[in-house]
Amino acid sequence: MLTLAIDTATKVCTIALARDGEILAEYNVNVGLTHSEGLLPQIKQLMERTGIDKKSIELLAVSMGPGSFTGLRIGLATAEAMAYSWQCMLHGVDTLKALAYNIPLEGVVLSPVLDAQKGNYYQAIYEWVDGALVEHEAVSVVSKDEMLAKAASYGKTCLLLGETKRLETMDLGVNVKLAPKSLRMPKASSVALLAEIEHTDEDKKIFGLEPYYIRRSEAEELWEKRQQK
Amino acid sequence: MEKDIYILGIESSCDETAAAVVKNGREVLSNIISSQIVIHRKFGGVVPEIASRKHIENIMPVIDEALSEAKVTLDQIDAIAVTYGPGLVGALLVGLSAAKSLAWATDKPLIGVNHLEGHVFANFLADAELEPPFLALVVSGGHTALLKVTSYNSFELMGQTRDDAAGEAFDKIARVMGLPYPGGPEIERLAIGGNPNALVFPVAKLDAPYEFSFSGVKSAVINYLHKEEQGKREVNRSDVAASFQQAIINALCKETVAALKETGYKKVVLAGGVSANKTLQTELAKAAKKVGAELVHPTAILCTDNAVMIACRGYFMYKAGVRSPLDLNAVPSLKLG
Repeated sequence: MLTLAIDTATKVCTIALARDGEILAEYNVNVGLTHSEGLLPQIKQLMERTGIDKKSIELLAVSMGPGSFTGLRIGLATAEAMAYSWQCMLHGVDTLKALAYNIPLEGVVLSPVLDAQKGNYYQAIYEWVDGALVEHEAVSVVSKDEMLAKAASYGKTCLLLGETKRLETMDLGVNVKLAPKSLRMPKASSVALLAEIEHTDEDKKIFGLEPYYIRRSEAEELWEKRQQK
Repeated sequence: MEKDIYILGIESSCDETAAAVVKNGREVLSNIISSQIVIHRKFGGVVPEIASRKHIENIMPVIDEALSEAKVTLDQIDAIAVTYGPGLVGALLVGLSAAKSLAWATDKPLIGVNHLEGHVFANFLADAELEPPFLALVVSGGHTALLKVTSYNSFELMGQTRDDAAGEAFDKIARVMGLPYPGGPEIERLAIGGNPNALVFPVAKLDAPYEFSFSGVKSAVINYLHKEEQGKREVNRSDVAASFQQAIINALCKETVAALKETGYKKVVLAGGVSANKTLQTELAKAAKKVGAELVHPTAILCTDNAVMIACRGYFMYKAGVRSPLDLNAVPSLKLG
């Protein structure tokens, strides 16, 4: 199965091509250019470099969030339109779970975190057990202190990955460490490998996917508050 | 005989997700619009994040429907035309990302279209004989402008509003009067049966020709309503709506007639959401006739946002060899002319 993966959930623009569990190519850009301008030229370059016919792609894998709302929509609209053009499968992958796929290492807990605005983080907790990725905690929106407390609560080393820039100079506590830089940021190769495992016949339906926003729009939250008064 | 050209148009600049297929620039094969008006109504206006969320839900189903209704396959499409501005950035990016991806995936040309030029081009579908040069009065929630269309691909701005757009003034007055969003059609409905000469709401006189200013007339209406409320006097709401509408229409007609005289053009087209206003259509047609010009306006469905007009504009750009690169970005404040 030939898989093209796209992850534009964060400010990293990452794409990858994989076939049957093997990573053929990966292209990560982390210079803060807009995904709108960069994504399509980046995909075009990657396909040209590998020499693989784009129309032989069988599975589109896309990172669904949580993450930047606009970034998620750019990735999803792009992936949907390709899947529609080539009549191939489309599979959405949890952005935090894909991050945990960056480090398939047993004996530690993994906590992917992403910026949820206003000093908050999206956080989930995973652990590799007997070769499988186990979810200890599903995604939630937490403050920095809550995030670090959760990470420390498993009694073993916890590696933080994702958007950790603001944590680099902070005291994280005894058990909590930052994953190595090369593995910390989103990697579309992980999105591709995860999608190859997760995809089902359902993924032939390429309409109706919705990003995992987690948070509602501010207007809706304000409106509801006003109704409760 | 020349080969037929099929353009797929895509539009997501505000609160309508739309796609259409147009043949040879003038023949509408499909026109699919998924409107979000009902969703935004409780907020009293378009909420950008909610609009973007609806766009991503609807964009591919709407494109698919446009192709299947037109009985055209994606393979048969010659180029993909898409709105890249002006509009809400998050909303624009959904249609633009889908369009760029479709274009690259199928090796077809991408054509980025100015939404406002699209509105002007909706008139080519209303009048089969329409040809440049002609005058265009663009009136929408974001714009009020007089434009010389000197050829299919060149435009010259004669003047525009200095403050509120006409549609914006309609929406604001509607809100003050407690009418639901979108306010324009509500004011028009309320104005039926009202006396347009009952009240005088003065429109600012400007020293520059072909320019507009609607914030003064808007304030005059709001002040009047407040004063009457404070004095606990009953207002004739239909008279207020009719008189306000008349003040706006008078200003639009006056400058348009002046522009027709100046250019000597024999046709003027209406473009933008406010062009759906029947009273404006009637009065502007009358005013234009007096100076020997004819008014053209789009059919009701093509007055508001749609993708037919984007495909039509895209067709003439395609013929002129215009192509957009894959790094085309959304331009929220894209200008006219």
